[in-house]
Amino acid sequence: MKTQPSLSPIRRVRPSLPQLAILIPALLGGFSSALQATPPPGRLLAAQCFQCHGTNGQAVGGFESISGKSATAMLKELLEMSRRRPESIMDLQARAYTPDQLRLISIYLATLPAGSDDQNDD
Amino acid sequence: MNSPRRDFLRFAGLASAAFALPQAIRAATTPPRVLVIGGGFGGATVAKYLKLWGGNVDVTLIDRNSEHYACILSNLVVTGSLPMDRIKLNYTSLQTKRGVNFVQGEALSVDPDAREVTVRTSSGRYAYSYDKLVLAPGVEFITPDGAYNADLTPHAWKAGPQTLLLKSQLAAIAAKQTFVMTIPKSPYRCPPGPYERACTIADYLKRKKKGAKIIVLDANASIQAEPINFGNAFAKTYKGVLTYIPNAPVTSVDSTAKSIITPKGTFKGAVINVIPNQRAGQIVTSAGLVNDPSNRWALVDPLTYASTVHPDIHILGDSQGTGQPKSGHMANSQAKVCADAIIRSFTGEAPDPLPVTSSACFSPITSTTASWLTASFQYDPVSKTMKRVEASFAEAPKPTSDGMQQMFQWANNIFADSFS
Repeated sequence: MKTQPSLSPIRRVRPSLPQLAILIPALLGGFSSALQATPPPGRLLAAQCFQCHGTNGQAVGGFESISGKSATAMLKELLEMSRRRPESIMDLQARAYTPDQLRLISIYLATLPAGSDDQNDD
Repeated sequence: MNSPRRDFLRFAGLASAAFALPQAIRAATTPPRVLVIGGGFGGATVAKYLKLWGGNVDVTLIDRNSEHYACILSNLVVTGSLPMDRIKLNYTSLQTKRGVNFVQGEALSVDPDAREVTVRTSSGRYAYSYDKLVLAPGVEFITPDGAYNADLTPHAWKAGPQTLLLKSQLAAIAAKQTFVMTIPKSPYRCPPGPYERACTIADYLKRKKKGAKIIVLDANASIQAEPINFGNAFAKTYKGVLTYIPNAPVTSVDSTAKSIITPKGTFKGAVINVIPNQRAGQIVTSAGLVNDPSNRWALVDPLTYASTVHPDIHILGDSQGTGQPKSGHMANSQAKVCADAIIRSFTGEAPDPLPVTSSACFSPITSTTASWLTASFQYDPVSKTMKRVEASFAEAPKPTSDGMQQMFQWANNIFADSFS
């Protein structure tokens, strides 16, 4: 790597002390907390809803929250949207996924804590 | 059950068993390190989701600015409908709530063999080491021929000072003067964006600068997104105010003379808004990662966004060349696929075999109505590409005031999902 003589020498950045402090409880408490297990099925698919419905399905200032609701009811609604004449953006969004993907999304969203819905209901 | 001695023995056993899994043992003793270059929608989202889903992962986000101005809603700032603060985003929540390390600095170069990035900050130059690198620098503009100066003829295609510059030029335009804008050759950042700008400018001129006109020079043969909604807006809503000229790429620009030469003629105006052709961000090019057929974008594996040149370097958002549309919403979408894949790689797992990405956005057409556009993509294992799901691809039936309300709801949520 070239360095220009007029610039100060490169300094290397190593892990900081706060990061080392995280390791001590990890070493004492076991490693399952240090490394995450296989992601829950449906999580990555459901995350595609978060741009509009908020992180973890908890909407901020607008669209309906979609977390912590009945998986059966959610799936029913998504399937309906994917089959009826497409008019709203959700009708199109629901068509992006296979029925099996919609099922995985519905189950995963049901496991998340419910958001506080505001008065807008769609 | 959790005695220190028992844990020590577990650690010793893990150490020998993990000999064949270097990433896992590194992670057991030192958190894996991910460096993210670029703090726009793609970079912010990947940094956040790496922490949110990754557990003990060391994530550092680097951007040359201490805050980010969103392009989303920025056309309404240009016309004075919204204040600049409405599109201002910061990195505070990512740090305090999500545990992302943020460094304000400019990434100068990448050394893929040493796995280091040289960064210039206000206190000097540093070499940041990484296990995985994510590059999300947005686009670089290809300077048009002639005497082009973005400080005189702004693009306002990166929000911030350019937004305010175009806003002040627009406010100073006099009735009967002409606003000339150019639309770059596809692919470029935000397919509906330039047409949305044309509409918001036309609406502004109609309301506030009677007699002023806008000429839209499109390098493309036709409207690249929402052809019905924008086509109707151009032909009917803004008839008499807006002239749309396709097949008019910019041959040369004289920013001082405020003149543009195209195959369809020479055009002059009081305000010249050239949106130049685009390519991958500079750092992606200098790292030797641009390798698509057009020699502008970086090819990546759509399952992980890993570069086809260097598997430890991921490229997402505008700079990558999978053929998905370039937008903030899409960058956020890709970032989640990338974060998930990187986290899996730290435990030796294969990436999700069938990711889905989604692009959606709302565009103001008048000061009271907005339309929307959506398209989603599924991974096709045969072609190893993201294929658009045609049934999911559509524009709004028409612009509505409901659409306008939904636009702000979408903006609120995507801002928070990416930056909080």
